Amino acid sequence: MVQAPPDELPIDLNAAVRGEVSWFCCGTAWGPCGTQGRGACGTCNSGSMQHAWPNTSDACWAITRPDRCGFNLSRRTCGYRHKTTNLCSGQSITTSIADCGPQTDLWCGERSCCGSTCGTDRIIDLTAAAYSAIASLSTGLRPCEITAG
Amino acid sequence: MTSRRQMLKSALLGGGASVVAATAMGSLGPEAAFAAAPDQAVKPGDPDPNFAEGRIRSIKDNVLMVLGSNLVFHQIRVVDGTSLWKLGPVGFDSAKPGDGLYARGVRMPDGVLAAESVWLNIVNIKGHIRNITTDRIHLDHNGKDVVANVVAGTSVAVHSDAPATSDLSTLSVGQHVQILGAWRPDTNEVDIATVFSPH
Amino acid sequence: MQGIAALQPYVIAVFLAWAALLKLLDRRMRSQAGQTALAQLVGQARAIPALRVVAVLELAVAAVLLVPPSLVWEGAAAVVLTAGFLGYLTYSARKAPTSSCGCLGAHSRPVEWRSFARAGLLLALSLTALVGGLAGAPVGAGPVAVSPLLVLLGLAEGLAVVALSPELDRHWLTPLRRAIVRRRDPLAARVSELVPLEVSLRVLYRSPAFCSASSHLSSDVLDTWDEDGLRFISYAARGRTAVFSLPLPGDDPSAVRVALVA
Repeated sequence: MVQAPPDELPIDLNAAVRGEVSWFCCGTAWGPCGTQGRGACGTCNSGSMQHAWPNTSDACWAITRPDRCGFNLSRRTCGYRHKTTNLCSGQSITTSIADCGPQTDLWCGERSCCGSTCGTDRIIDLTAAAYSAIASLSTGLRPCEITAG
Repeated sequence: MTSRRQMLKSALLGGGASVVAATAMGSLGPEAAFAAAPDQAVKPGDPDPNFAEGRIRSIKDNVLMVLGSNLVFHQIRVVDGTSLWKLGPVGFDSAKPGDGLYARGVRMPDGVLAAESVWLNIVNIKGHIRNITTDRIHLDHNGKDVVANVVAGTSVAVHSDAPATSDLSTLSVGQHVQILGAWRPDTNEVDIATVFSPH
Repeated sequence: MQGIAALQPYVIAVFLAWAALLKLLDRRMRSQAGQTALAQLVGQARAIPALRVVAVLELAVAAVLLVPPSLVWEGAAAVVLTAGFLGYLTYSARKAPTSSCGCLGAHSRPVEWRSFARAGLLLALSLTALVGGLAGAPVGAGPVAVSPLLVLLGLAEGLAVVALSPELDRHWLTPLRRAIVRRRDPLAARVSELVPLEVSLRVLYRSPAFCSASSHLSSDVLDTWDEDGLRFISYAARGRTAVFSLPLPGDDPSAVRVALVA
């Protein structure tokens, strides 16, 4: 039986959440991305305004386990919208869920800062198109704030 | 030292009529950030017309002819103000047929993408380190083997929020990392720009 | 020869029992059952029950191989089971090339040559047992003359199965590689005067100057050059140019300066 998320209140239920955002590729694509597939929702594409979320299903949560970093995130399913704001520039982008990720529990405690503004723990992954709208792809990882889109 | 560089250096260090805004104290003003943004033009979930992804088929003058992975053809125009990245900032002559790319810019009425930024062969892959040999990190990326090459003078490691370092020797076999780098076309190898390590 | 044939049931039985117990008791394995090729074969909803059925089959064959009386058909059962493994692996590699095997523990690596080699080895051991049984040697736990050579062979076969099991790498191969890397230090930093651009960019990203200029930038790095102990980095800024400077070497984000130039 796949373990279900604990009952603690998700930190994103009623408030904006700060953390880290990275980017990934999906869909038919060149390079090491070529075998990624269309994501957990079957619709993911690097050129679309989409993102991966750590709690799209019980099976997803069993892989990402944000509770191991000390917090829980709301269950949101394919198509749900989140707004991600780059804490450095203030630029934001609204995207819809197309995949499961990032693997939050493999990065517990990691921090990314811009000036004195920091985000801890990986809570969202954007497609290349979405990330490049708020930061350069070569930055790789940025502190962010997430709200329901 | 080109005249353009000379002009920029003088403007930064000496000020002058061409300077729009500057500071010796480190900020252009906090209100410059978090300015109100216009409504997002692209609906969430939709493809972004101002973004292109694919492989370069040919190069004509300053236009990259790119075949997208979804078999859409893109013409991407590169101008003086367009940045090109291939493991770092490069000139236009570094773009070669066969290179993979992502590009962001402005889609013109004639369908051409006027590029602001072009990233050649850029990848951002996460995985476990299976082995480390001389100047090479062997990564398990979703079950596939990827060989990441350390490039002297370029590759750095970032451990959480610590300053970046060119010393990669603290990375260990078995740990999880994220590698931002440049794919070597038609191989399972990448050159490392940055290795992100959680601790 | 008879001793060798008689040895095989023990080696096979140990492996089968081990694999069965992992399938029945390892929670991680059950939680990842949906990602295995087995799930593709029988459907996600039936993945865990299917895993349990396979485990029971493995236990059953292991038990009859170990418990007397010894009959030739026990060797045949082992041959059928291990041939079935090979068939399943072939299906897995062709129809679900990115899925894991789900054979001996939870791991996400797809089926690779080692899985095939292991299944092939087990099939060969099973065939040796069967042929030995047909030739008159006891198959299953009958009286066997234990010689040091047989013990060594059994150990060698066991080690070969372990070495061919990717699921077990984290118990021996990873620690071994870690030790070798610690000794050889293949990524030892070479002393260089060159400061990588990425080091400067990471200082930039932490600087108040970059934060305030960030919303003006419309490109990635346009140009960079070093002069007079400073590194200059320029970006396009919607028709203008943003140029940063920071001391080289240096790690102080507050020392970064920026100007927006027409």
